[in-house]
Amino acid sequence: MVSPVLLIVIPLGLAFCVPLIGMVSKRFARFVPVVACLFNLVVSVQLLPAVLSKPIVVDLGGFGAPFSINLFVGPVGILFSLLIALAGFVVSLYALAYIDKGPTTRYHTLYLLLLVGATGVVLTGDVFNLFVFFEILCISSYVLVAYRGDKDGVESAVKYLIQGALGSALLLTGIGLLYGLFGTLNMAHIAVQAGSADPIPLFVAMALIVVGLGVEAAIFPLNAWLPDAHSSAPSSISAILSGIAIEVGLYAVVRMVFTVFGASSMLSFLMFLGVLTLLVGELCAFAQSNIKRMLAYSSIGQIGLIIFAIAIATSGSITGGFFQLVSHTLSKALLFLAAGYMIYRSGSMDISSLEGMGKRMPLTAFAFAVGAFSLVGLPPFAGFPSKLLIIRGALADGGALLALLVGLVLLGTVIEGAYFFRVIQTVFFKKGDGETARCEAPAIALVSMFVLVALIIVIGVYPSLIIGVLNSAASELLVRADYIGRVLG
Amino acid sequence: MSFLQDYVYYIGAFGLVLIGLFIILSRRNLIKVIIGLSILDTGINLFLISVGYISKGTAPIFSKPGLVAEDMVDPVPQALVLTSIVIGVAVLALALALAMRLHKLHGTLDLRKIGELKW
Repeated sequence: MVSPVLLIVIPLGLAFCVPLIGMVSKRFARFVPVVACLFNLVVSVQLLPAVLSKPIVVDLGGFGAPFSINLFVGPVGILFSLLIALAGFVVSLYALAYIDKGPTTRYHTLYLLLLVGATGVVLTGDVFNLFVFFEILCISSYVLVAYRGDKDGVESAVKYLIQGALGSALLLTGIGLLYGLFGTLNMAHIAVQAGSADPIPLFVAMALIVVGLGVEAAIFPLNAWLPDAHSSAPSSISAILSGIAIEVGLYAVVRMVFTVFGASSMLSFLMFLGVLTLLVGELCAFAQSNIKRMLAYSSIGQIGLIIFAIAIATSGSITGGFFQLVSHTLSKALLFLAAGYMIYRSGSMDISSLEGMGKRMPLTAFAFAVGAFSLVGLPPFAGFPSKLLIIRGALADGGALLALLVGLVLLGTVIEGAYFFRVIQTVFFKKGDGETARCEAPAIALVSMFVLVALIIVIGVYPSLIIGVLNSAASELLVRADYIGRVLG
Repeated sequence: MSFLQDYVYYIGAFGLVLIGLFIILSRRNLIKVIIGLSILDTGINLFLISVGYISKGTAPIFSKPGLVAEDMVDPVPQALVLTSIVIGVAVLALALALAMRLHKLHGTLDLRKIGELKW
C-alpha cells in the first residue's frame, strides 16, 4: 500500500521542480500541476477503502505517537484530500488555457504549494504542523490573489495579508498556550488531557485558535478580506480559494473544536454564528452588481450553512454538512470557472454585461446554470440531497430553537435563489446589444467545466455513492475516543 | 517583586503583542502597519520561548559532566520559534513587496486613500 506521506511529499517536490522545468520550456511546466493533482487523486482513491475500514496513522521520523509528528488519515482527512486533489486537478486543467499571461511558472509553483498546504492541514495530527501547513496555504494564496498585479489585486492582497497574518499570530499564540498547558503538540495527546485541564486557560487557548483559524474560514465577523480577495484574484484562483481554501480553514476549526478540545458547550455558539454568517453572506450577495463579488459573498453564506450543520453535532446533520461541503466545492468551483470565461469574453465583471451570453457561449452558460442550480439546491443536482440532509438532520433533533434556525436557513436559501435566478435570467433571457457571434471557451476549459457538471449530476442523482464516506467522516468527528485510541495506541 | 521576577518574560511578550496590535489598528500608513505586524510576531516568539524557559537554564545537550535534565530549557518551543521566525520573514518580505507595488500603482501608502474596494 502507498504511504499517505506521498500525498504531501510528491506535490511539494514537484512544486519546486516547476521553475526548473520552466527554464527549459514554459509550455511544459504548466502540465506539472495537472500531473501532481492526478497523482494525489489516484493515491487518495487507492487509500480510500483501507482508510474507511481503519484510519491510517503514520508516525514520521520513526518515534512513537506523542513524540513524533504524525499524520492521521481518517475518513475526514481522506475526504478532504480527495476533494482537494479533484478540485485541484480540474482547476489546473482549466488554468492550462486560462493562465496565459504574466509569470506563469510562478503561478504554477504557488498553485501547487497552495494545494500542498491544504492537503497537509487536513492530514496532519500535530497542532504546530497544522500551523506550518496553514501558513504555506495562506502565503501562497496572498501571492496568487495579487497575481495580475493590477490595482484591485494588489490592494486586496494587502488587505488579505494583514488580516491573515493577524489570524496566524492569534493561532500561534493559542498553540503556545496549549504547549504551555500540556507540554505536547500532538492533537490526540492534547485531547486526552483537555478534559482535566484548568478551564480558563484552556478556553483562552481555544478562543485564540478558533478566532485565528476563523479568519481563513471566513466566519462572520472575520470575513472582511474574502469578497475583495476572491473577486480580484484570477478566476481559477478564486475557484480554488472558494472551493478549497476556506473549506480547509473550516476543517481546522471543526477539528479543533470537536477532536482536540471536545468543546460541546461551544457548539451552540458556533451554530448561531453559522446562521449569522449565512444570512450576512446571502444578503450582501443579493446586493452585488459584480458577478465575482456576488459569488464570493455566496461562499460566505455557504460556509455559514456548513458550520450550522456541523455544529448541530448529530450524525445526520454532520453528514449533511459534509455533503454540503462537497457540493459547495464542486458547484462554486464550476461557477467561478464558468464566470471566468464569461468575464474574459465580455470584458467586464458587471452582471449586466453578461446579457446574451447564453447565445454567445451556450456551453459555458449551461455549466454556469448547473452550478447555480446545484448551489441553490434544485434536484437533480448535488446541492439538493445536501440541503435535504441538513434540514432533516436539524429537524430530527426537535426543539423550537432549531426549527427557528432552520427557518432562517431556508430564508437564506430563498435569497440565494433570488440572486442566482437574476443572473440566469440576464445570461439566457436578455438580448445583449453588442456582439452576437459565437465565442465559446477553449476546449480544455470546457472539458474541466463538464467534468464538474458530470460530478454534480451524478452525485445529485446517486447520493448513496458518497454517503458512506460522509457517514464515517461524521462518526470520526463525533467519537473522540476512537481518534485518541488510534493515535496513542 | 517575585511576581515580577516570575512573569517578566510573559509581561514583556504580551506588552510587545499589544504594542503591535495597537500599531496595526491605529496607523494608516501601510509601512507602519507592517512594522506593527513585525513587532507582534516578535512578541509571540518571545512568548513561545518563555513558555519553555528556565531561569539560568542551559542548552539541552549533555556537554558537561554533572548536567541534569532539570537544568535544561525545553528545546521544543525554540524549534517552534525558529520555524515561526522563518514564516514571519516570508510574510514580512511579501508584505513589503506588495507595499512597493501598491505605492507604484496608487502613488500613496495611506490606507485611507487607497480603499477603492468597498462592501
